[in-house]
Amino acid sequence: MSKTDDTQTPTTAGTRTGTGTDRTSIRVDDPIMEIRNASVTFDMERGESRVLDDVSLDIERDEILGIVGESGSGKSMFASALLDAVVNPGILSGEVTYRPRGDAEVDVLGLSPEELRELRWEEISMVFQGAQSSFNPTITIRAHFEETIEAHNYNMEQAMAHARELLSDLYMDPDRVLDSYPHELSGGMQQRTLIALSLVLEPNVLVMDEPTAALDLLMQRSILSLLEDLQEKYDLSIVFITHDLPLVAGLADRLAVMYAFEFVEVGPAGDLIGNPTHPYTRSLLKAVPNLDTPLAEMRPIDGMAPDPVDVPQGCSYHPRCPLADETCRAEDPAYHSVSPDHQSACFHWEDSAEAIPLSTGGDERGGGDGEMRAFAGNQSDEPVVSLENVDVHFDQVADGGLLSVFQEPDTVHAVDDISLDVYENDVVTLVGESGCGKTTLGKAVIGAQRPTDGTVAYRGQDIWEAKDSRRGADIPYEHIRRSLQMIHQDPGSSLNPNRKVQASLEAPLKRWEPDMDPDDRQERILSLLEYVGMSPPGDYAQRYPHQLSGGEKQRVALIRALLMNPDVILADEAVSALDVSLRVEVMDLMLELQDLFDTSYVFISHNLSNARYFSGKAGGRIGVMYLGELVEIGPAEQIINDPQHPYTKVLRWSTADLDIEETVEDPPLRGIDIPDPVDPPSGCRFHTRCPEAREACTREQPTLGGHGDGTEHETACFREYDESHEYWDSEPVVEDDADATADDESGSWGHANE
Amino acid sequence: MGTVKRTEETDDRPPASLEETIADGGTIAGDEASADTPFGTVSSGTMSRRDRYEMLVNEWVVAPFKILWSDWRARVGSLIILAYVLMGTVGVRVVDPPRVGEGDRLVSPFEDLSHPLGTDNMGNDIFAQIVHATPPMLEMIVAGAVFTTVMAVVVGTLSGYKGGRTDQLLMTFNDILMTIPGLPLVIVIAVILEPRSPWLVGVIITVNAWAGLARAIRSQVLTLREESYVEASRLMGISTPQIVMKDIMPGLMPYILVNFVNSARSVIFASVGLYFLGILPFTELNWGVMMNLSYETGGALYTWETAHWLLAPMITIVILSFGLILFSQGTDRVFNPRVRARHTSAADPEEGDDDMSGEVATHIRG
Amino acid sequence: MINKYYIERTAQAVFTVFAVVTMTFGMIRLMPGGPVSYIRSQLVQQQGNQVDMEQVNALVEVYTNVAPDDPLYVQYLEYMTSLLQGDLGVSMFYNDPVTMILASAAPWTVFVMSISLVLTFGLGITLGAVMAYIEGSRFDVSTTLVSIFLNSIPYYVMAIVLVYILGYQFNWFPTGGRVSSEVATGMNLAFLQSAFYHAALPIASLVITGFGIQALAMRGNSIRVLGEDYIRVARLRGLAPHDIALRYVGRNAILPMYTGMMIAIGFMFGGSVILEEIFAYPGIGYYMFRGIMARDYPLMMGAFLIITIAVVVGIYVADLTYGKLDPRAGSGGGNREAY
Ligand code: SF4
Ligand code: SF4
Repeated sequence: MSKTDDTQTPTTAGTRTGTGTDRTSIRVDDPIMEIRNASVTFDMERGESRVLDDVSLDIERDEILGIVGESGSGKSMFASALLDAVVNPGILSGEVTYRPRGDAEVDVLGLSPEELRELRWEEISMVFQGAQSSFNPTITIRAHFEETIEAHNYNMEQAMAHARELLSDLYMDPDRVLDSYPHELSGGMQQRTLIALSLVLEPNVLVMDEPTAALDLLMQRSILSLLEDLQEKYDLSIVFITHDLPLVAGLADRLAVMYAFEFVEVGPAGDLIGNPTHPYTRSLLKAVPNLDTPLAEMRPIDGMAPDPVDVPQGCSYHPRCPLADETCRAEDPAYHSVSPDHQSACFHWEDSAEAIPLSTGGDERGGGDGEMRAFAGNQSDEPVVSLENVDVHFDQVADGGLLSVFQEPDTVHAVDDISLDVYENDVVTLVGESGCGKTTLGKAVIGAQRPTDGTVAYRGQDIWEAKDSRRGADIPYEHIRRSLQMIHQDPGSSLNPNRKVQASLEAPLKRWEPDMDPDDRQERILSLLEYVGMSPPGDYAQRYPHQLSGGEKQRVALIRALLMNPDVILADEAVSALDVSLRVEVMDLMLELQDLFDTSYVFISHNLSNARYFSGKAGGRIGVMYLGELVEIGPAEQIINDPQHPYTKVLRWSTADLDIEETVEDPPLRGIDIPDPVDPPSGCRFHTRCPEAREACTREQPTLGGHGDGTEHETACFREYDESHEYWDSEPVVEDDADATADDESGSWGHANE
Repeated sequence: MGTVKRTEETDDRPPASLEETIADGGTIAGDEASADTPFGTVSSGTMSRRDRYEMLVNEWVVAPFKILWSDWRARVGSLIILAYVLMGTVGVRVVDPPRVGEGDRLVSPFEDLSHPLGTDNMGNDIFAQIVHATPPMLEMIVAGAVFTTVMAVVVGTLSGYKGGRTDQLLMTFNDILMTIPGLPLVIVIAVILEPRSPWLVGVIITVNAWAGLARAIRSQVLTLREESYVEASRLMGISTPQIVMKDIMPGLMPYILVNFVNSARSVIFASVGLYFLGILPFTELNWGVMMNLSYETGGALYTWETAHWLLAPMITIVILSFGLILFSQGTDRVFNPRVRARHTSAADPEEGDDDMSGEVATHIRG
Repeated sequence: MINKYYIERTAQAVFTVFAVVTMTFGMIRLMPGGPVSYIRSQLVQQQGNQVDMEQVNALVEVYTNVAPDDPLYVQYLEYMTSLLQGDLGVSMFYNDPVTMILASAAPWTVFVMSISLVLTFGLGITLGAVMAYIEGSRFDVSTTLVSIFLNSIPYYVMAIVLVYILGYQFNWFPTGGRVSSEVATGMNLAFLQSAFYHAALPIASLVITGFGIQALAMRGNSIRVLGEDYIRVARLRGLAPHDIALRYVGRNAILPMYTGMMIAIGFMFGGSVILEEIFAYPGIGYYMFRGIMARDYPLMMGAFLIITIAVVVGIYVADLTYGKLDPRAGSGGGNREAY
């Protein structure tokens, strides 16, 4: 079955230059594509940069191949190489062969421009990450489809019929979508439309480069489940490229892990997750926040991914590998067969399991052994910040024009009637889809957003009252202001690009301690930099933000917030923009500092795994938000393991875990897209999508408290109410499935960027 | 992809002693005097006042100059501008002012060394006229450019940062001003006011020229205002003027500088044009007045003999405005932190690499 | 959404005209050295010191539509009503109704300016796109330099040079007038030829000095658009290069040029004052200049008003076509998040 040459012993292996013969490819029985010794190089001033290093791989007919790698691992280059579409001035060498069923094989790199033009999209098609930027903003979706069909001389009528079918397959209303301009569709719709566009010429291979990275988890998961249907319906071979291992684990038939521009481990998804042999794969599995791995086992990977100009000699992973020895440093490992179809590029693959223990599968779920550091501090009885019946409504007003004065503004209910207490040393994580109001609620907590109704109190003092009547307040506003701080989502914009790190960090000190000696100030900043692992601190202090990596920027932002010695820090998706393997590291750091500084966090995340890790490790709570309302709140592990609200269950479903047994099933909800927050549904806001919805839900609104057993864990759903509630007697809301979706979409229509 | 590798092990961070220090000094920025916090007292006096001063000079004078110099457009542009400034300051002292009959009438250029550019119909030396016309021209240019920039920055920033009613009012007014064609408006005002001081002329000429820039700045401010670091500053209780100065302005600087130079150019265009037409009252000699005289009284259009009298001021204007455009094209880099970082000597040698790996990152992503 | 955009633009245009009219009224009436004192001083010169105030006021009213001894708001209302009736007063210099003079002049200015505008942008956009496609080539570099150089020449300097060399020295082009006196007015070929012949130099001076900056802007835009993801996707989808060039690069790169276009409209119409004087081309600007020189306030203000209205209309038209071209125009442009 396998033609892999695993008789080669490490000692006979040559140096890096000999890799072509040394590394055999990973073969399959019936490949639809074969990639041999593919390399991509860029000539740069400081040397040749090799962003795809001599990779060989087969893609089996009708399989879903998941390719996993961190940013900068070369995975996108691999995708481009499949279509011979490497951007200038990159140079692609090697062999790419396409084997259509029955026909003669095609040498992709040897095609004439016209043949290549025909091959692309008709045979091999591609979906990119940013759907928004993949469309021409000035022409309609229909025009995109039509020009594609025309360019390939397909029968317009048939092909457009196919396009409509694809769009409905993807749960959208074909006419509406076709007549829209790209900016009129929401992100999830754009991405689905792009998938339809890539399939309109009925290709055999679909290459997807991070197709869902910019979307909410729920939308990602929904698209994935649709993808599986499409694959079956149209006999597709799919190459799914992502940084998110848990996401593809359930979807893919085979997985290939990329590190430093080459594949380090390839195998069937089950084997690779259940029995990973390459140290990098194992560490990655430990580093990625998920719902299964016991919290105590999660570990960041030390060190940094290598620079393409300067890939380490020998095994490129050796600087970070706990198993590395002399051989590893000197020689490039060949593939070793773990099983006939499972290959690992590591000399010591047999020892890796022992060296890097892993318990995937989750039998010891939540079992914190002694190793686990408990970060939970003592929480106070009195809340630090207390929200009571807070509403935040926004008026959507058009931009500045003369007539905007006369317009009736649309009101967006970003936060509706929420009460929440945050204690000292507390961690509250807010989760929900984008547009659910979690950021607005977070900002209301730290007094960055004035509520339209209700009160926000800091240690009993109404924050906004203090601000308005500066003198009369018990606690002066100034004090409140510095006690409530924030760390932003996007590391790219959290620091002023025009100021050096030092200047950014000095600003709060200069504001609050103007008398401080400049040298002391500097010293304090340097020692904090050192503390968060940025050394030498003197060097880092003199850097501009663009000279820092994303993780480093977030550290600086964290320090800046801590310099204020705040009581509460709002961390708005503070780790979402970081590479998966870094997230755990930064979250650990945040928790560690919480211990030292006695701060509370309000942590905002769309990702349940991060929420679980962060709240769970500190013994905090998770609050689930939907369309401006808090629908469930309770201790982290309870929310994860025993979700009560139907929406929480949906979120739980959408969070991919590493259990490959669990394939991607249909979503436990009735509509994919979120209703428009300008005009939220009546009664329980979730009733348009809730699988358990009954007639009573459309009329009446469930509340958080006032029922159940009075524990910390509260749920706003009638199913929690006792039997006497009318919910139990009313009729289920059942609609025809397709209709339901169309209805929901009418809600989210014309609501482009939520 | 940062280039600096973390040297510390993540797990056994932080060093024990430091951890204690911090734990004790939990109130890092506490209300009490900072001297108590063990964190900050260990000043080893690493930097003397002099060092700090040198650093400032390096950052604000040397580095920008180096960057400017590295771009040929900015280099040529600044040399040209420098030449005119010298002409207006030193030149007027070295070159004698033109006198009637100091030479023969209508001497052709490049014939007589004492009148390198020839003379006009009254025997005035043309080169001397050009030189002595420079100071009022420069005054006009500076007045106009400063007025435009200040108005635009104030209105644009106010409108963008304040938002709401203020924004609406200012922008309505601004849009109207923007639509009114500049030159006719200036003419009408000039006819009514008959300005004589070059400073006033400069301001009148740009009376509505700032509106377009104000709108552009407003939209920039709107974007910048949403940046996380601005919100962070606000939450840290930093005052609005401080935020505008430190967080908003630097982002606008390239914009402002380029437009400062551009408005300087349009002041030259408009003022010379108006003097040439005789719409602005003649007070002192300037390039537009020279053109007017040669055109009207010298009949430069009909004979070759007076052509140089007309051409000399025209070429003077063209060269200056060429210099200004080149300068503005080359200067936006001065404010780019990526370029800055490379030119500050304090920067580490790996700088260049950083940019390059950014480049690779884009390729990879693409 | 789109409807709102149109309504807003229309309201804006009307309001701007209204504001300018009010401003002219203010200037005529309130500014020191305005027409009232001018007419009075003229009469004083003519008749010695016994000037009859009533006579002055009557004259002022004839010329400017404003009776100086009425209360201010009455004056304002009168001024507005006569304007609405198309009455701009009487020129003191020509002694003809201002409306009549300008009505005969306006088409010529519009003629010259719109051709210049079309040529400037046509040339600029084409050249810019070509430069972007062969970015870094010798053609690109040299064209950039030439563009910058031409842009540093004031249009009136170019006008003087052209009229001097091609008009007076070589006599290839006329040095004044709208058409030659021999041709009969009307839509005949000779008339059109003559009209273009006379307009050639003014148009040339605007276009030569104006296209460079537009070419540079277009070049920058195109380079940016060429780097967009959707261009790459379009290429992968196998679209023909000319489709990509027109529908993708062209369309998206031209849209941001509209701002430049609106500025250019105001700049060109405003510049007509200088340009038409140099070419002795009787358009609105020419008459405005005459009005200024003769201190003929009604003519000057009337011309100012008409130029402004022409610009407002030009910008309005540009705005409307922009709304047609850019589907995002109505939605405020920015993707500012609501929360
Ligand atoms: S054990 Fe050696 S060969 Fe295997 S990953 Fe580590 S360094 Fe590479
Ligand atoms: S109240 Fe009804 S609609 Fe709402 S979540 Fe519960 S069951 Fe679903």
